[in-house]
Amino acid sequence: MRITQNMSLAEKLNILSDAAKYDVACTSSGTDRKNDGTGIGNCAKAGICHSFSADGRCISLLKILFTNECIYDCKYCINRSSNDVPRASFTPDEVCDLTIEFYRRNYIEGLFLSSGVWKSPDFTMEMIYQTIYKLRTEYRFQGYIHVKAIPGASQELIQRVGFLADRMSINLELPTAEGLRKLAPHKNRKTILTPMRLVQNSMKENKQELMVYRNAPRFVPAGQSTQMIIGATPENDFQILNVAEALYKNFDLKRVFYSAFIHVNDDSNLPVRTDAGPPLLREHRLYQADWLLRYYGFEAKELLSEKNPNFNVLIDPKCNWALEHLELFPLEVNLADYQMLLRVPGIGYKSAARIVKARRMGVLDFDDLKKMGVVLKRALYFITCKGRMMYHTKIEQDYILRNLLSVGDKVPISVREMNYKQISLFDDVNFRQEQFATQQGKKAPIEQYLG
Amino acid sequence: MKRVYVCTDSLTGIFSAIYDAWKTKLGENEVGIALRGSVEQELFCEYVEIRDNEKKAIAVENLIKRHLGEYAYWNIYHTILSHDSKKADVILGMMLEARKIPDSTRIMEHLSHPKVRRMFEISRKVSNEAHYYREIVRFRELQNGILFSEIEPRNRMLSCLGEHFSDRFPLENWMIYDRTHQMVMVHEAGKQWILVHGEQIDEKLITNCSVKETMYVKLWKGFFDSVAIKERESYERQRQHLPLHYRKYVTEFQEI
Repeated sequence: MRITQNMSLAEKLNILSDAAKYDVACTSSGTDRKNDGTGIGNCAKAGICHSFSADGRCISLLKILFTNECIYDCKYCINRSSNDVPRASFTPDEVCDLTIEFYRRNYIEGLFLSSGVWKSPDFTMEMIYQTIYKLRTEYRFQGYIHVKAIPGASQELIQRVGFLADRMSINLELPTAEGLRKLAPHKNRKTILTPMRLVQNSMKENKQELMVYRNAPRFVPAGQSTQMIIGATPENDFQILNVAEALYKNFDLKRVFYSAFIHVNDDSNLPVRTDAGPPLLREHRLYQADWLLRYYGFEAKELLSEKNPNFNVLIDPKCNWALEHLELFPLEVNLADYQMLLRVPGIGYKSAARIVKARRMGVLDFDDLKKMGVVLKRALYFITCKGRMMYHTKIEQDYILRNLLSVGDKVPISVREMNYKQISLFDDVNFRQEQFATQQGKKAPIEQYLG
Repeated sequence: MKRVYVCTDSLTGIFSAIYDAWKTKLGENEVGIALRGSVEQELFCEYVEIRDNEKKAIAVENLIKRHLGEYAYWNIYHTILSHDSKKADVILGMMLEARKIPDSTRIMEHLSHPKVRRMFEISRKVSNEAHYYREIVRFRELQNGILFSEIEPRNRMLSCLGEHFSDRFPLENWMIYDRTHQMVMVHEAGKQWILVHGEQIDEKLITNCSVKETMYVKLWKGFFDSVAIKERESYERQRQHLPLHYRKYVTEFQEI
């Protein structure tokens, strides 16, 4: 069935970048590496975005599949084996050449190499290994490399790749094992979590080695990440957030990415196709909550509960939490501890740090806060300066909610562009569950899969 | 009467003026610095012209590094590169304030002081612009193998790019041409980067690209288009992250 032998490089790049675009992870952060003077490239800790595509997402890495030939038949995936799409494969040299030439022109920060499963997981992983081995040694590339580990590939291969890559990721694909069984029949939780655990343990061992031998080779220095598809299966936000929290705690993941489900295939197991487009607001709320977990000291159970398992469509999770806990407010900015400042809507982790430093030098007033980047129109209901509130306000749920809503929620433009009807139809998860007419059965608790 | 020192818009000029202003021991409201060419005449002011003086500049530089610390120096350096016409006065005001507080190295944390805050803003603008250009500088390979790039930045931040790109491409010959300020950063393979002022660039030479250049530009543009997800299209969001102003010399936004 190989009809694509004599394809030009441009055609291949077109097919294999098009096939890779649904993967959300494109960050180039986490490693700080200088060039050793013998090759090309370095890495910046914070990562560098080089461009923004027409959907407003950042382009940092050359995001491609090695091949889109795939023996698996995952129902949500454009490359599923039963789909009739043009198939192509790169050679290792083509990938290296593209990476180096794009990198030289400062188009990209490095390579993101994923792949369909070609012949077998081990065969595919071996091809990936050969490619990045070549890139690192022959082409002396010292920029960022993000590699997808193929579920089911042998331990030894994954470890060898890990010593060449900066970041590795294994996609969790769907939040629960049940969803996975339904939509990705060839994958299971075990083949996904095993390599994830392996990478985690290898990183720990590597840390020990590095303490003894400073120049020991480094194993995935930028850590590992994963991604979940949101809205292809009927999990609620509480379940998803709990999975994310468990991943951060038990697997030391650097990032969990959420990818709003996009209809590329028609399949009876997928939710019914609507005109509403991907659930972008829901994805946005999950990212907001994800930040609260990672940077703001929140826990999943503080933000949502069994009783109230989905995020509010109208206000962000932090405001929502604050409204539920009005007894803690208002907070005196000049006295409150850092952890509490973080929990005030309108104060980010950067401005919280600035406040803590600046108040050592003098007493802060609202004007100072504004200059430091605090969003007062949000924060003013929750703080006092020198014992006074900014305006005369009531500390009352409905009153504050009404005022916060009139200020408007800071949602990304792509979400804002949707009209009200679309938001309410597609992001109200309770409504959307009707789409999963067949899946009304009992939901299994999630923790057990993530032990 | 307030005394205003007038100096050239350069590191040496501004530091020379600060040297003299500092020596007078006058308070913040009694002394100021203006840049030559952008002096706003005020009543009851005495204007003193300052000549560039290397020695004075070095003395001030050492003073800053020793007493205000690396972080404050970093901020002052970025402020000097700004196109803001009041920058010199802001730096002086910040330094005079640093004199008053017990631990001068923490001056940048003193954000409730207007001059410190202003300097924080200016230096942030400059370093942000430098960061932008680390992202969107686009090189093209000329016939002779040199990687060439041109930009039109608002601030004079070319020197902020040197370390980044020479570490990244140590074995390449490359240059970045700042059209706004007519400066070129030149890096020869295996050597340190240098800044060249006032040199004329041969416009013909820099459009003469290598044979493979068009191919890679096409490949890149193809990738740029195919990586976008249609269902999520949002040009407004794209513009928010990458304003039109910055796109002039960015390969993927240029017509072939």
